[in-house]
Amino acid sequence: MKKFLLCLFWVSILLLPGVLHAQEDAARILDSLEKKYSSLKDYSADIHVHFDIEGFKAPDMQARLYCKPPDKMKIESKRIFFFPKEGGIFNPSMFNTEDFDVKSLERLTYEGSHAVKLKLTPKKRKQPGPQDFILTIDTDRNLIREINAASAEGREARARVEYGRFSDFDLPTRIELQLDFSFNESMEIKDFGQSPQQAKRVTGQVEITYSNYRVNTGLSDKIFNEPGSSKSRGGSYKGTESN
Amino acid sequence: MNLLWLEIYKTFSRWRTYIGFGFIALVVILTEVVMKLSAGEIVHRMMRSLQKDFLVFGNVLNGWFVTAFIMNSLHIHIPFLIALVAGDIVSGEATSGTVRFLLIRPPSRYRIITAKYVTTIFYTAGLVVFLGLMCILPGLALFGSGDLVVHHFGKFGIVFIPEAEIPIRMLVAFVAAIWSMTAVASIAFLFSTLVENSIGPIIGTMAVVVVFLVIGNFPFDFFRSLKPYLFTTYMVFWQQFLDDPIRWQEIVKSAVILGLHSLGLFFIAFGVYARKDIKS
Repeated sequence: MKKFLLCLFWVSILLLPGVLHAQEDAARILDSLEKKYSSLKDYSADIHVHFDIEGFKAPDMQARLYCKPPDKMKIESKRIFFFPKEGGIFNPSMFNTEDFDVKSLERLTYEGSHAVKLKLTPKKRKQPGPQDFILTIDTDRNLIREINAASAEGREARARVEYGRFSDFDLPTRIELQLDFSFNESMEIKDFGQSPQQAKRVTGQVEITYSNYRVNTGLSDKIFNEPGSSKSRGGSYKGTESN
Repeated sequence: MNLLWLEIYKTFSRWRTYIGFGFIALVVILTEVVMKLSAGEIVHRMMRSLQKDFLVFGNVLNGWFVTAFIMNSLHIHIPFLIALVAGDIVSGEATSGTVRFLLIRPPSRYRIITAKYVTTIFYTAGLVVFLGLMCILPGLALFGSGDLVVHHFGKFGIVFIPEAEIPIRMLVAFVAAIWSMTAVASIAFLFSTLVENSIGPIIGTMAVVVVFLVIGNFPFDFFRSLKPYLFTTYMVFWQQFLDDPIRWQEIVKSAVILGLHSLGLFFIAFGVYARKDIKS
């Protein structure tokens, strides 16, 4: 028994540098991704959104997106506009080692390129909001190719990102988003509390096409204080503007 | 035609006729002002389930949404206002002692009862049109225009109606609402021909509507099996015009069932009045 424990101890000691190296490596990948886009001060783009979700009968929607990393975003649309909360907006500074604990899951080949899967866990958990992100990063081109966001309430969003080259930056041209979440709307009746309803699983797909990019035009902070603006913190955009 | 105008004149000369209009004006304006003052809370409540997964931008709480909201809230109460006049239109003559004077004039009973029924429909249409105008005009002035987002409570999803399509959809929805309310008016009208006081038909109509609505909404299999036979089940078919896709088959079915109810009730009233022994 003593021998076995001793053996286990030595194996752990031997494996520890490897584990630490893997975690350092994961953090380094995330840092290099952040560094790649460090000179991206702002961008704006036309976005076209197509919904294919059960029960969500909305036509294709167009808007102009203004984004100023790390946390400012504005949607300009003459009409009512719906935009997925998780995975729809490209914000490279959203994922950083300050806000997330990073863990390397596996190395793989993604569409012919070397890639790595990283698990990001927010250091400060917020409810509601994603609990974990799993990123698939193309390490050859230093690009996030897939984002999997999962929350404690069982909501899942999986985004596949395609890129184009705009003003020396790789920026998304298309994001294909798979949504899977449970819907539970209980009816509030005064004096009777809430009537329980069985949660229903809703799945669907949202296609977001980005075009007509304008990069580093020096967007003023003022435009993000107007209606249609939203701020992000810890991984997902929060407040909404509808009036 | 003169007889019809005379009936309309008589109906609109009574103060009771304006109770419905006054009630609608008061409730709608009050609702719109309260909605304007607590716009943020209302948007949050109506979009709560969607906002978990989507960012929502734009003027969701616009005049069209307010109109749809008020229509949804008031469609149960409007029948009572209709019964106030429709339940009095024939029996009121007996109550006020004018029925003999009315029937000794040249027009036949058939023409008189038809004129009274058309007047009832005219009042019903007027009340619904007034509701529509009261919702839409101040609604657009206070909340502005925009696309209509219809959120069906209790199930995930929305129906998004582009702004350009809304006026025509609202128009047909209100026409459908008039058609639905005609069935209620026909019940009150029939009851009005059966008795010689106005309270009975008004309360009787209210009772029928309330009982049918309650039976139709009980979550028991027995009551569910009765639902297709209750006219109240089809009364909300105007909501179909604010859905996507518009289910024409259901609309036609509802319209035909309600039309047959109205026609049937009118013919019964017609027969009752023709055979009625006038004593007062």
